[in-house]
Amino acid sequence: MELIDNLTLGFATALTLQNLFYCFIGVLIGTLIGVLPGIGPVATLAMLLPVTYALPPTSALIMLAGIYYGAQYGGSTTAILVNLPGESSSVVTCLDGYQMARRGRAGAALATAALASFFAGTVGVLMVAALALPMVELAFKFGPAEYFSLMVLGLIGAVVLAGGSLIKAIAMILLGLLLGLVGTDVNSGVARFSFDIPELADGINFAAVAMGVFGFAEIIANLEHKEKREVFTSKVGRLMPSKEEFKYAYPAVLRGTALGSVLGVLPGGGALLAAFAAYTVEKKITRNPQIPFGKGNIRGVAAPESANNAGAQTSFIPMLTLGIPPNAVMALMVGAMTIHNIQPGPQVMSSNPALFWGLITSMWIGNLMLVVLNLPLIGMWVQLLKVPYRLLYPAILVFCSIGIYSINNNPFDVTVTAVFGLIGYMFYKLRCEPAPLILGFILGPMMEENLRRAMLLSRGDATVFFTRPLSLALLVVAAVLVVIVALPNIKKKREVAFQEVP
Amino acid sequence: MKIRDQKNFWSGLMFIAFGAFFAGWAQHYDMGSAARMGPAFFPTVLGGLTFLLGVIVTIEGLAVEHADGKIEPFNFRALVLVLGSVVAFGLLLRPAGLLVALFVLVGVSSLGSHEFRLRDVLLLSIGMSLLVLAVFIYGLSMTIPVLPSFMRE
Repeated sequence: MELIDNLTLGFATALTLQNLFYCFIGVLIGTLIGVLPGIGPVATLAMLLPVTYALPPTSALIMLAGIYYGAQYGGSTTAILVNLPGESSSVVTCLDGYQMARRGRAGAALATAALASFFAGTVGVLMVAALALPMVELAFKFGPAEYFSLMVLGLIGAVVLAGGSLIKAIAMILLGLLLGLVGTDVNSGVARFSFDIPELADGINFAAVAMGVFGFAEIIANLEHKEKREVFTSKVGRLMPSKEEFKYAYPAVLRGTALGSVLGVLPGGGALLAAFAAYTVEKKITRNPQIPFGKGNIRGVAAPESANNAGAQTSFIPMLTLGIPPNAVMALMVGAMTIHNIQPGPQVMSSNPALFWGLITSMWIGNLMLVVLNLPLIGMWVQLLKVPYRLLYPAILVFCSIGIYSINNNPFDVTVTAVFGLIGYMFYKLRCEPAPLILGFILGPMMEENLRRAMLLSRGDATVFFTRPLSLALLVVAAVLVVIVALPNIKKKREVAFQEVP
Repeated sequence: MKIRDQKNFWSGLMFIAFGAFFAGWAQHYDMGSAARMGPAFFPTVLGGLTFLLGVIVTIEGLAVEHADGKIEPFNFRALVLVLGSVVAFGLLLRPAGLLVALFVLVGVSSLGSHEFRLRDVLLLSIGMSLLVLAVFIYGLSMTIPVLPSFMRE
């Protein structure tokens, strides 16, 4: 069995003392920022990206991945105890989780969330491991035309499945693609849009864009509101759910895991969408619930929590096998690979097998660590919620600034980050989602390269994208997605679906 | 003419400006041919599309009203203090060293909060200095100057 061999190699890599340590640090930081409202995993990954420069690539990726799925665990703690989403994908958990806490079942809600997440994480990791080989084989059949079409589909999918205005999201993608083109053109050697600034000839630093647009802009936006955070101080209660609760909740975990695993792979999917969908399905499927949904039904915790963690794991599949990020977090992971001179794509599996399988197995180990971190240590995380934001954000700024400086040991990058902080704040004020911009920024150079190659091979004939069956199929799917969303009936429903939860 | 949705109107204008800039500036470079695309080709197409979408969004902003279309006032104080402190950190790091730069960063950025307490800020600066020294300088052995340049060897 090749898969067993691969997993053995993976465990051998992930179980080294160093990688275990960074995995632990990753999930620890992930839980931390998951618990704290106001900083999400995207911003944190962006901030820590430069720091990982000093680490070996495998440890760096293991740590960054840990932050992402760790945040899914931590977010549920805040959702249940404070009725605030510590992290956007736990918005749905607030509904029933907080109600359970008010009825004195906080412990059961927390345990359900953690165990459901662990189960879903395990299945998600297995899915990644099982699907990796066939996906990579498929990817090798892709020529430049197919890659270009796939990226078009990925970008379109990312905006269709996200909330907000479609046109603005597409414009943000285009803007991201354009910003990604700044720097020396590989084919002609011309330094584009560099204005004779030598630093810009190397392109705009990815970490600077991500950190400015997500991190700094978020901090400034948070400072606008006076802080009010009420910690639910009453007792957490008995941790384990009762036998009846367990029996009642586990079908929801299975359904949530299945749904989350599928939605995570889709572009624009990942944790948030998965949690949403799972909750809606559960509400429809459960007949005559003893406790109605929204009043503390345990399925309302189990389903979205398993779905968001399964989705968080499977969203690694397109990133690892095709080199195409399905969401902003994966775009950052691609960025991390590029910082370490690893060209993301199907060749990673053969050129860096230890990294590839080490990362996958580390995710399961990380999930195990998270259960331990989250259940017995819950009291510690509750205490953490009492740290006021006025102390938190200067500390975040310190880490950011040192990190960004250390990439090139150049103060120029720090200034660039500040400029993108300004731009990001403007985006926030104008309600322009920054996530598509980041996706575009990562894909910009790749898209141009594949477009050029495809056109060169076809001798300038643009119909190549429609005559190659695989490429055509991908473009048709993209077109169908746009048409569906633009239909007035669906448009209305889409707007409602993304506003249902407060 | 009345602006019905300020957010859409101004973001439309922003897209128009970015699109026009990229497409326009790209004309300095070689367009090439369809088979051998020059460096100007892709940015021209993308810039053009951005411009076009910008026009649509602007028109939408003029024509369609949304409940939350009004732009809330900018928090210039936080904006200037947070970004300013970061830029100052970058500029101070080499000549003045990490410790001075860090105190400036924490001190100035803290002013952006609603409640500023000098004692907390000092304690935070000291705590962060120790943490940073432990993690970045000794832990990850990064080459960042710690002391001001006149105190270095």
